[in-house]
Amino acid sequence: MSQQDVGSGENKLETAISYLLIVGVVVSVILEAIGITLYYGTHGNVQISQNPTVFINGKDFFAFIIYQTQHLFGAQNAILFMTLGLIILMLTPYIRAITSVVYFALEKNRKYVFITLFVLVVLTLSLALH
Amino acid sequence: MLDMVTLLLISVAVGLVGSLTGLGGASILTPILVFAGFPVKEAVACGMVAIIATSSGSASTYVKERIANIKLAMYLEMFTIIGAIVGATITVLIAPVFLYFLFAAFLLTSFINIRSSFNKYVPPEKQDGLSKWLGLEGSYYDQAHDKVVKYKGTNSLLGGLGMFVAGIAAGMLGIGAGAFKVIVHEKVLKVPAKVSTATSNFIIGMTALAGVSVYLFSGLLNLTLMAPMAVGVTIGAVAGGRMLNRIHDRNLKILFLVIVVLLIIQMLYKGVTAL
Repeated sequence: MSQQDVGSGENKLETAISYLLIVGVVVSVILEAIGITLYYGTHGNVQISQNPTVFINGKDFFAFIIYQTQHLFGAQNAILFMTLGLIILMLTPYIRAITSVVYFALEKNRKYVFITLFVLVVLTLSLALH
Repeated sequence: MLDMVTLLLISVAVGLVGSLTGLGGASILTPILVFAGFPVKEAVACGMVAIIATSSGSASTYVKERIANIKLAMYLEMFTIIGAIVGATITVLIAPVFLYFLFAAFLLTSFINIRSSFNKYVPPEKQDGLSKWLGLEGSYYDQAHDKVVKYKGTNSLLGGLGMFVAGIAAGMLGIGAGAFKVIVHEKVLKVPAKVSTATSNFIIGMTALAGVSVYLFSGLLNLTLMAPMAVGVTIGAVAGGRMLNRIHDRNLKILFLVIVVLLIIQMLYKGVTAL
C-alpha cells in the first residue's frame, strides 16, 4: 500500500469520526451547562454538593443507560441534564471504537477489522462486567 | 470548598494544558480537587471523566486536521486496554501508599527519556516487517514549519509492549498515562512529536472508559463535580487542539517538562505524608 493510499483511505474515516465526536462533545457540553444553570435556578447557588442525590449509582454501563432513560422524567431537571450529558460524553469513545470497526469492514481491511474488533470487544466486556 | 464556576474555569486551563501535552488533564485535576478538600476517590472518579472529555474534545480537532494516526492508535489500543484492566486489578491488591511513589517514578522515567527529543524529526532508516505489514506510516502538514512531514513507524511489537505498561499505569493510577504514551510513540515507534500527542489523545478516551466504570458504579461520581469539569476541560481541550498545530515542538516540550516536574514533586509529597 502506497503512502497516498493510506492518506486517502483514512481520510473518510477521520472525517466521519471527527464529526461524530464534535457532535457528541458539543451536545454533552450543552447538556451539562443547562444542568448547571438549572441547578443554580433551583438551589440559588453553584456550590458543589455532597448530597446523595447528586451521586450516580448503577450496575454496569449499559444497565445504567437503560435505567436512566427509563427514569428520565422522575429526576430533578438539573440532575437529569447532567446525567444525560455524562452518558453522551461516555459514549463518545465507545462510538469511536464502533465507527472504526465499521469503516475498516467497509474498506475490507481484514487486518484492521480484527484489530478494532478486538478493542471493541474488550471495551464492551469491561463496561458490561461490573 | 470550590464552587462549580471556579472549578469550570480551572478545568478550562487544565484541559488546555492536557491537550497540548497529551497528558490528559486528570493527573493535574485530581490533585487540585484533593487539595480543595474533596475525597480522593471522588476526585479520581471525576478525573476519569475529564480524561474522556479531553480526549474527545481534542481528538475531534486533531483528527480533522489529520495529525492523529488512526491505524497506529487502534493497533496500540489493543495493548493499552488490556493493560488498563490488569492495572486496575493490581490496584485492588496493593496498599494505596505505593501508588504515590509509583506515580512519581512513572513520571520520572518520562522526564529522563524526553531530553534527547528536542531535535528535529528524523524518520527511521528501516521499518521492521510488522510495522510495514500494519501500514504504520503517514504524513501531516506542519503549520509551524510550513511543510508536509512524512513519517514511518517502526518497532511496533516493542511499542505495543510499552503501551501495555502505559495501560497498567493508567488502570492503577486512574490517569490517562498520556505522558508515558507520548514517550513510547516518539522513542520506540519513532513517530513525530505532534503525531504522538494527537494519537495519544485519540486513545486515552477509550482506555479511560474501560477504567471509569469501576469508579462510576461504586457510587463515586458526583454530578455537581463532574459537570463543570466536563464543560471546562472540553472547552480547554478544543482550544488546545486548535493551538497544537501552531506551536513549535520545542515550546511543547518545555511545557511538558515543567508539568512533569510539578507532578513528580506533588506525588512524592503525597506519598511521604501518607507514610
